[in-house]
Amino acid sequence: MKRLVLIVALLFPVLAMAGTLQPLAAGDIAALLKPPTHGERIIALWALDCAYCEPNLEALAKLQRAHPRDIELVIVTTDSIERRRAIEARLQHMKVDGLPNRAYAEAMPERLNFLLDPTWGGETPRVLVIRADGSRLGISGELTPAQMRKIR
Amino acid sequence: MRHLLIALLCLLSPVAFAHDGMHMEMPKSPALGASAAFDSHGGLYVVDAADGHVRLRRSDDDGRTLSAPMPVNAVAERIYSEGENRPKIAFGPHDELYVSWSQPRAAPWTGFVRFARSVDGGEHFSTPITVHHDRAEITHRFDALAVDGHGRIVVAWIDKRDLEAAKAAGRPYEGAAVYYSWSDDGGKSFVPERRLVDHSCECCRIALARMPDGEVAAFFRGIYGDNIRDHAFAVLHTDGRAPHVERATFSDWHIAGCPHHGPGLGVGADGVRHAVWYEAGHGPAIWYGQLDPGQRPQQLLKLAGAGASHADVAVHGRTVWVTWNQVDADGYRLMLRRSTDNGAHFDAAREIASSAGAAGSPQLLQKDGHAFVAWNTAQGFRLIRVTP
Repeated sequence: MKRLVLIVALLFPVLAMAGTLQPLAAGDIAALLKPPTHGERIIALWALDCAYCEPNLEALAKLQRAHPRDIELVIVTTDSIERRRAIEARLQHMKVDGLPNRAYAEAMPERLNFLLDPTWGGETPRVLVIRADGSRLGISGELTPAQMRKIR
Repeated sequence: MRHLLIALLCLLSPVAFAHDGMHMEMPKSPALGASAAFDSHGGLYVVDAADGHVRLRRSDDDGRTLSAPMPVNAVAERIYSEGENRPKIAFGPHDELYVSWSQPRAAPWTGFVRFARSVDGGEHFSTPITVHHDRAEITHRFDALAVDGHGRIVVAWIDKRDLEAAKAAGRPYEGAAVYYSWSDDGGKSFVPERRLVDHSCECCRIALARMPDGEVAAFFRGIYGDNIRDHAFAVLHTDGRAPHVERATFSDWHIAGCPHHGPGLGVGADGVRHAVWYEAGHGPAIWYGQLDPGQRPQQLLKLAGAGASHADVAVHGRTVWVTWNQVDADGYRLMLRRSTDNGAHFDAAREIASSAGAAGSPQLLQKDGHAFVAWNTAQGFRLIRVTP
């Protein structure tokens, strides 16, 4: 019994990471868009319906691992947090479940799109880069190597 | 000690569920994907989905009151009813009621196109059938439904069988394909499906409209070259002729991604193909144009910009209406522009309704030459009569 508890207790922190999908509502947008004190915050938007989103998230996660002190990567799905199980399963499949993950929790999802970036029409994947100097960069679609270099 | 173990196991269980991709849950509240149509007597019928059922509601007072919902599928199944997916409704020449929808399968992005019919105004529906003969567990979804001038039921959808075949053979394949089928027997059965075109966009709705000769035409987002996501036009022949698909928009929007944004089409009695579509090459934009397949559209007009989405178009005589959702920080506004000279000029955009909650894609309907916009919002279904 003691050994079982130990195993479960040891596994817990690893598995608990998978369940950290947090809601994103209109009231959270201002904090998310606030420029970071240094480096970049990358907001990676994706959707369950979007097959192009997986390579983007994987590439951005790799970029973040290469610059862990300078890049804050926040992954946001435009799908409702009511679909938590499907979202978390996909995040695990993409091996990005350990990163900060948010899902739309907003009665008007397109309003959330607009608040995040009025120059974005909801197409996915979408990357929004917010730099410490307050400048922003928005890119729709699967990132090309040239676009990746623009991000950092 | 045992309590601690139980507590830890309880904490773990939601995580264990997250591994289970086989049972993707659907939203708890009814999704806003809905469609509406008038029958020949002016009765309004609305379909949407809730709790695993496509449900039908009827209104005899232009949407002010709706009947209690009647289930279309007696046995519950999963139903796509959000975003670009919504149950569809169309009427046959004798008010036969046809309903189609896309059913999610276990794996991501998969689906089957489903169909049921009622010949007694929705009191009873046939057991749903799967429209396509292919039964692979792949994408067959984003169904579109129309009835042609001979009463044939035409269904088109996005299909990934050619992508899957290319993947298996190690060949590259951009996007998905559009397939279509039709029923000559009032929806009892559908002929084996045929491919309309390779390299369509994967998750944008297909617009269908009836041509003056009674045939059904399709307007949909395709992929040209390296992920240029412009639109194509084709007539869906049901007489064995090979379809002739031509590029019909030339916005040159490049995106290796999902616009989640299909077009709209309305064809006048004069054959003019009035179209609306979305692209974001230089920021979000909704365009109006008259299709001249193979060439750039005529009367090209940018209708709206940032915050505009999901436009629809309809034509009666020389009057053309366009409607779309306009979102800003305050919520949704339903917008309308009208032309009385067959699309040469449009009046200024005006708000015809607003919603403090979410809203589905607007749909233009007509009755006796008058236009109505069907708008499903979180507060309920609304039918807005367009005043001249």
